[in-house]
Amino acid sequence: MVLKSIKLSNFRLHKDTKLEFSDNLNYIAGGNGQGKTTILEAIYYLCTSRSLSGSPDSEVTSFGCEFFEVGGTFSDLASNDVRIYYDSNAGKKSMFLDDKQFYRASGIIGRFPVVTLVQEDHAITMGSPGDRRKFVDSVISQASSAYLKILIEYNKTLRQRSFLLSQIKENNSPKLFNQLSAWNATLVKNGSELIRHRLAFIERFNEYLSNSYSRVMESKEIPAIHYSFHDETDKDKIEETFYDKLSELKDDELRRAVNLVGPHRDEFYFMINDRELRKYGSQGQHKTFQIALRFGEFFFLKDALGKSALFLLDDVFGELDTFRAGRISEYLKEVGQAFITMTDFSKSELLKRTGEDLLMNVSGGNVSYA
Amino acid sequence: MQIAEPLQRAIDELNKLPTIGRKTALRLALYILKSKEENVTTLTNALLALKTDLRFCNTCHNISIDEECEICKSTRRDKSVLCVVEEPSDVIAIEKSNEFNGVYHVLGGVLSPLSGKGTDDLNIDSLVKRVEHSDIRELILALNPDTEGETTALYLARLFKNSNLNISRIARGLPVGGDLEFADQATIGRAFIGRIKVE
Repeated sequence: MVLKSIKLSNFRLHKDTKLEFSDNLNYIAGGNGQGKTTILEAIYYLCTSRSLSGSPDSEVTSFGCEFFEVGGTFSDLASNDVRIYYDSNAGKKSMFLDDKQFYRASGIIGRFPVVTLVQEDHAITMGSPGDRRKFVDSVISQASSAYLKILIEYNKTLRQRSFLLSQIKENNSPKLFNQLSAWNATLVKNGSELIRHRLAFIERFNEYLSNSYSRVMESKEIPAIHYSFHDETDKDKIEETFYDKLSELKDDELRRAVNLVGPHRDEFYFMINDRELRKYGSQGQHKTFQIALRFGEFFFLKDALGKSALFLLDDVFGELDTFRAGRISEYLKEVGQAFITMTDFSKSELLKRTGEDLLMNVSGGNVSYA
Repeated sequence: MQIAEPLQRAIDELNKLPTIGRKTALRLALYILKSKEENVTTLTNALLALKTDLRFCNTCHNISIDEECEICKSTRRDKSVLCVVEEPSDVIAIEKSNEFNGVYHVLGGVLSPLSGKGTDDLNIDSLVKRVEHSDIRELILALNPDTEGETTALYLARLFKNSNLNISRIARGLPVGGDLEFADQATIGRAFIGRIKVE
């Protein structure tokens, strides 16, 4: 799947921008605050109906304007037009797929898969365990809607159970304990299903990760993700282990009225040569790992979904030495279509560009082809 | 603009009903205002009759005109098979299928700590008494396949674990006459787990 063209009206700095894209690499160059990342944001809007940075629609509208509009044409086996219109007076967003209106983000999510590599990705390797779970959950959810459904049910179970725990804390009745044991059973059932999915995913994804890592970094370093549940148990005993841990931490859970056991507490350890990245990794290793995760995600989704996602890379070359920048631009050729912003125009000479690739200059919301 | 007090009161009352928002409430109130008086009387009588002429069955808690509902009174129903459901609307749905000839027990909800539903808020005590005092062989748990329904089914299954009851829960899977290719992944996944041997 490729994005053929895009049209922006009153979208942040872009008053009226029309762009035709290459099916291969699209480099978007320009200084800070000129509207490069905004183009990625607009593409992300077309794929998900939401902002890449999580900004509300009202903030995306150009200052003083009454609406914004983003439209684009995707081409796969057939071509699809997506249009999103936001009326800032009414605070209302209208979304259209091939001129047919749809009302929920689910109307397009998953249809036009998208993978992003942005500055905020540093949280995945450097941040909290929750950031790593979020990454893993989002990749599996994109490949499997069944996983997403179980995840939603599981989160509901967590809310119900923690509320019940707080009720028990206030009022220690045996009837509530009987209910708790039923909620435990649901927790273990849904939770174990998540754990099985995650185990299967990590096993597959590690291959994609180490492949991508070696392409970005010519070295003998071996990256891997370890899943905390995996080290302690074998696949047939997940439920058993789950129940054991629950009874082990029962008193703690009741005292604090918090769910302490389950996949929402599990940790993914990112390793390089069997040493934990978070504790021992250099800045460069962190950056390389983040890049390899997103490339891994891209190729994993390509195999899982049978089509290529759009790959958006925001200022990936900024922090890299010329050697790795060159390797990444080489590796990008295997991706198909990608959109890459960069501040430092001089680096563009180092990129291994071919005739089909496109280079654009963005300045003050105006785009010119170079 | 100040809305006349009787109209505002009608809007506020209609607004309390599920799925009725402010605008719909206003539209309904104005419609009723414009209707013939006899039609409004018929409507209010129909609504009142719900409270005066109907009650809940003493045995199964289904909607009933008498102390015992038509299904519990019937001699043609198999009293040894008991189907546990969440709400009276589920009884209506199952009855329409004509597939079930046993009797029902309406729980009046499912376990949900967040909505303040515990075991004491559901018709569980009366279910236990029914199982103890009448000749029930089989318990079918026909609860919704969501987190709360599943948990309630598990709770009941454990509660009656030591009785001689044959306990089952209704199957989940593909809709009849449906196309496999249009079913969602989760449903297909469950249908595989709950596959049935072909004789």
